[in-house]
Amino acid sequence: MNVFRKYLRDNRRSIIGWTIAMSVVSAMYTSFYPTVGQNPDMAKAMDAYPQALKDALHMQDLTDPANYLASTVFGLLIPALVIVMAIAYGVKAVAADEEAHTLDLVLAHPVGRGSLALQRVAAIGASLAIVSAAVLAVTLALRNSAGLSAVAPDRFVAVCVQLLLFGLVYGSLAYAVGAITGRRGLALGVSAGVAVLSYLAYSFFVQVDALQWTKNLSPFQWYLGGEPLKHGLQWGDSGLLLLVSAVLVAAGTARFTRRDVAV
Amino acid sequence: MAADTGATSGARPSSATETTGSRGGLLGPMRGTPAIQTQGLRKIYGHGKAAKTALNGLDLTVERGEVFGFLGPNGAGKTTTIRLLLDLLRPSAGRISVLGEDPRSRPELRRRIGYLAGDFVVDGRQTGADLLAYLGRLRGGVDRERVAALAERLDLDTSRRISGLSKGNRQKIGVVQAFMHAPELLILDEPTSGLDPFLQQQFVELVQEAKAGGQTVFMSSHVMSEVQATCDRVGIIRGGELAAVEQVEGLRQRAFRKIEITFAQPVDPAEFAGLAGVSDVTADGPVVRCRLAGTADELVKTAARHTVVDLLSEEPELEELFFAYYAHGEGSRR
Ligand SMILES: Nc1ncnc2c1ncn2[C@@H]1O[C@H](COP(=O)(O)OP(=O)(O)OP(=O)(O)O)[C@@H](O)[C@H]1O
Ligand SMILES: [Mg+2]
Repeated sequence: MNVFRKYLRDNRRSIIGWTIAMSVVSAMYTSFYPTVGQNPDMAKAMDAYPQALKDALHMQDLTDPANYLASTVFGLLIPALVIVMAIAYGVKAVAADEEAHTLDLVLAHPVGRGSLALQRVAAIGASLAIVSAAVLAVTLALRNSAGLSAVAPDRFVAVCVQLLLFGLVYGSLAYAVGAITGRRGLALGVSAGVAVLSYLAYSFFVQVDALQWTKNLSPFQWYLGGEPLKHGLQWGDSGLLLLVSAVLVAAGTARFTRRDVAV
Repeated sequence: MAADTGATSGARPSSATETTGSRGGLLGPMRGTPAIQTQGLRKIYGHGKAAKTALNGLDLTVERGEVFGFLGPNGAGKTTTIRLLLDLLRPSAGRISVLGEDPRSRPELRRRIGYLAGDFVVDGRQTGADLLAYLGRLRGGVDRERVAALAERLDLDTSRRISGLSKGNRQKIGVVQAFMHAPELLILDEPTSGLDPFLQQQFVELVQEAKAGGQTVFMSSHVMSEVQATCDRVGIIRGGELAAVEQVEGLRQRAFRKIEITFAQPVDPAEFAGLAGVSDVTADGPVVRCRLAGTADELVKTAARHTVVDLLSEEPELEELFFAYYAHGEGSRR
């Protein structure tokens, strides 16, 4: 577990930074609910928006606490931040280390490549768990004061678990591309591209009938589509998020253990 | 391959694939297999048009307990060979055995190896002590006192952040991490690059101590003085093939040395020209200069017929012997 601990230790400042950022963002959005969601003028203003835009931004009926949370805290900035963090960590796990020529040294020690890779992926999962837990703690703490008590605590847990698994997909993707190619820029580019596409598939492509089906391929859909804030943990969606992550990690690791490590 | 002729005859490979069976007796407990053995080792980088053959059937044997110098011009394939030994690269063809095992077989093999990369780089956002502690844990723990002693010897301050260290000081960390667990086999790629003369001397002593302790050292180097001071044998690689393997001691004996004899009166240089091992005789008044290979007996006895005021004999420089393998020849770069 040395590699696991070292990865967390090396990233401790970064993890603290992400945790603070996401806690602040969650706190702000959550405490805005009384002024935004419960404001009749706001509701009227919302009605003026075209339905297509509201669908795209998943903003219908913001007076409902679960809807409010799903389209603000858990629907916009937090998943975006989680994606950025997960991709950054995934790229760091192998490709960035390799391009910096610092991977040689560790791999010249008695650590198997597969073990090294998996310990680092586990550390990415742990980092994502830390920020997800922070988001959960903040939203739960403000639940009553923000007038969101209609949403049960276990629903918050459910959405945060799915948030963690959602992040894991992008972290695994960045890791996998980096582990397969050893190229940092490529890993970053592919993962960012997939992130944008998957968001578009979840939000804008659904407006076009011919592209409706793409929604079901989007991790955003697997994360929020089942409305965990209303219906609790979605086992199928969660399983899918986990499965996709596992396949990506397995593919990346399989290639990484067989190829040359670049100087 | 037959590019070396005439002038370089002193350095001609006497036995390119020599494996020295006879040295074994001196080396204490031998475990049968050589420390390093490669057979028909090939490495091709890239695919298709971009393919580049870096090693072209390398047969190399390094016995246990010896210090083996791995020399050759830039781009000859030294780093490639070394990274293959550590399983950082995978061979395109051929076999590798390190301490009797396939490097690919299991990571634990690397517990018995110390490695210093040609470009030793580490994440600068940590102190030397942090890094050494981490690497020590990866090895299942190392003797802290030994690490401290090594750092002290190399005058390395491990409490400073690595990003703030000079190149030489970073290299010292590399040397410490390679030696700190007293491994059976040290694989060092240009270990003294960036080190000042004092530290190069410290390094030479470290290698000599390692040898005395029965450790095997395989190192690539461009610094001939350190090769001369440490190595039992040298292998010369060129264009991805082993061009020669030589005993350093044998080379020393075959090497030319410059002799300068000052006589009381001018003498006829022709007297010396025909002597065994003597060549390039020139006279400058009472001073006779020549080059000598092998024993000095005849030369000294002939000189003794006159009054000898002074006699100067230089330590043979192996460097000159190796020049033939560097620089020119088609094989060296492609
Ligand atoms: N990743 C790579 N991709 C393609 N070619 C490579 C790669 N690494 C090395 N080479 C080529 O393989 C050959 C051997 O390189 P290597 O680094 O082993 O040489 P070297 O003997 O260590 O040289 P030096 O003395 O300069 O360190 C060189 O021609 C080099 O250009
Ligand atoms: Mg090199």
